[in-house]
Amino acid sequence: MNEKRSASLLRRAVKTMKKALALILVVAAFSTCCNRGTTTTTTGRPTVAFVLKTLNHPFFVDMRRGAQEAADRLGVTLQVQAAEREIDVEKQMQIVENLIQTGVQALCITPSGSREIVSALVKARDAKVPIIVVDTRVDAKAAADAGVRTETFVGSDNYEGGRLAGEYLVKVTGGKARVGILEGIPGHETGDSRLRGFRDAVKATPGITIVASQPANWERDQGFNVFQNMLQAHSDIDSVFACSDLMALGALEAIAAAGRTGGIKVIGFDALDDAKKAIAAGTMEASVAQFPSEMGRAAVESAVKVIRSEPVPPDIKVRLELVTRHLLKPVSLLVTKIRRAGWRVRRSGEASTRRT
Amino acid sequence: MIIASSAAPPGARSVDAMAPPTSRAHRLLLPARQFGTVIGLVALCAVLWILTPHFLTVSNLLNVAEQTSINAIVAVGMTFVILSAGIDLSVGSIVAIAGVVLGTALQAGQPLVVALALGVATGFACGLANGALISWGGLPPFIVTLGTMSIARGAALLFTEGRPISGFDAGFRVLATGRAGFVPAPVIVMGIVYAAAHFVLTRTTFGRYVYAIGGNEEATRLSGVPVRFHKTMIYGVSGLMSATAAVILTARLNSAQPIAGMMYELDAIAATVIGGTSLMGGDGTLGGTLVGALIMGVLRNGLNLLGVSSFLQQIVIGGVIVVAVLLDTVLKRRNRT
Repeated sequence: MNEKRSASLLRRAVKTMKKALALILVVAAFSTCCNRGTTTTTTGRPTVAFVLKTLNHPFFVDMRRGAQEAADRLGVTLQVQAAEREIDVEKQMQIVENLIQTGVQALCITPSGSREIVSALVKARDAKVPIIVVDTRVDAKAAADAGVRTETFVGSDNYEGGRLAGEYLVKVTGGKARVGILEGIPGHETGDSRLRGFRDAVKATPGITIVASQPANWERDQGFNVFQNMLQAHSDIDSVFACSDLMALGALEAIAAAGRTGGIKVIGFDALDDAKKAIAAGTMEASVAQFPSEMGRAAVESAVKVIRSEPVPPDIKVRLELVTRHLLKPVSLLVTKIRRAGWRVRRSGEASTRRT
Repeated sequence: MIIASSAAPPGARSVDAMAPPTSRAHRLLLPARQFGTVIGLVALCAVLWILTPHFLTVSNLLNVAEQTSINAIVAVGMTFVILSAGIDLSVGSIVAIAGVVLGTALQAGQPLVVALALGVATGFACGLANGALISWGGLPPFIVTLGTMSIARGAALLFTEGRPISGFDAGFRVLATGRAGFVPAPVIVMGIVYAAAHFVLTRTTFGRYVYAIGGNEEATRLSGVPVRFHKTMIYGVSGLMSATAAVILTARLNSAQPIAGMMYELDAIAATVIGGTSLMGGDGTLGGTLVGALIMGVLRNGLNLLGVSSFLQQIVIGGVIVVAVLLDTVLKRRNRT
């Protein structure tokens, strides 16, 4: 009886399979013609791929906005993809591999790892896709070893940003401070440069002591926990430099939890909206502003130039500003510096009168 | 795909506890369910073929296979563990620590073979430690591997001071960049791993014990099987597979990262479960797991090709996992009545 039952089960399974396959084939056959149609119509518009580290950070969301605006203005199709987590180099590599398959004409990328991404860039090179690096530099030696050539780098000088923060701290504390530092993920070029800039700026001032420096991996909750622990160990900390605003905001909450709001000067990086609010409210001291949407725009503009075989400068610097309470109309401390004359990055921002 | 039914001789299962304790009709339905997963994969491919002209090209399919290989290899170990009614949350961290040991050895100028042996041994040792704590310590696998997940990750970070180790010889990188004919090396490694693991699971006593332990551990123990030893080995296999994946990952990125492999445990569990392996143990096949891993790989690739938002991709992948398991449960329930 069992045999009979199982035989009928198998027969049923085979029947279902046949039906499913037939359906698939019909749909597939029907659609192939439409397929060819759509591909030919889209080939007139060049496609630029933009691979971000992640999309769950306001910084990259802004960058995408700037890139999309530029793409719309220049008449190119923009394909934006990002890994779920900022540190997932392998996923970013997969995305690059997959986008190359779609025959994009240029690749803009914010590398999740300065060295690791080179393996993915090799594949882009093999597919003859020009590469525009944004925000985080590719390790020069690793790229040279692999024979990867990038068209240009678009980004702010993170070292300079760290210096801005350090110099401001010296000024505002009168040269006497006990500082706790929240670092990004160790080994990340971005965080390391900011840290070096900050340390170099305060080095010459003997009254400033760095009492603790710990990674909080760019994250808000880790910023909270790590700073809470720092306060336990060093209750005399009176200033904080966080390599990103998310960590700074975490630290602010830890300070509030300890009932010391206003007693500790917090300087962050990125000038996120939440950070600007905290600065306006006086709970946070300052933040170094980058202009991610400007980066996105400049990257897409460069990509289009490369596609049209026009020259692009090897390095496009996007300005940095220090946002403090006095100047929530920010003063430009490092104005857009561009190595080659004749190249202008459009100023981002609220009051810009861009033509569309 | 008729693995489970061909593996246990029909006469054997009525007398001992070593064969999977599944009803006969259930076992006969297994191949059908497996075809269900294959149909799922074929349907998915067909849909993508319709939606984008870039999907069904030789270079893209090889691309998908290469991207799938790492998760697929980790999922082999996960399948062994889940078949024995356990769980291994530490696979991602073991990938990281095996990778950094391998990377450090390579950077220290050790010969390739020595470095590979060190990396693989590290993974195997971590797995054995898991297994020993579970078997002899009598602790739940969930707790033990949760602990190891954190310990191995911390050790990898401590060992490297949080920095990635990058830049290896071309001789090592061949494991990721090399091609035999047109097939990428990681795909070949994946093929070898699956062939070997399939043989172990279906043609050796150890393999039969994996099913038996998952089906009814107490009965297996009473039949005189050294359950503790075999359970330890099962987690050892999982560690070994994670280390193998670490070798490919390190070669692929030309870098060993202490933060590598995060969330790999979830991808591996998903591939195993989509492939029809029951979380209750004792029921499932490696062929199913491979198809499960391919479904996940094809989904990710296809969603990238289509330019679907990264957020939507997570929803789709989560949905597929739930639907696959739902289908599995419904089929089983219908079969029981």
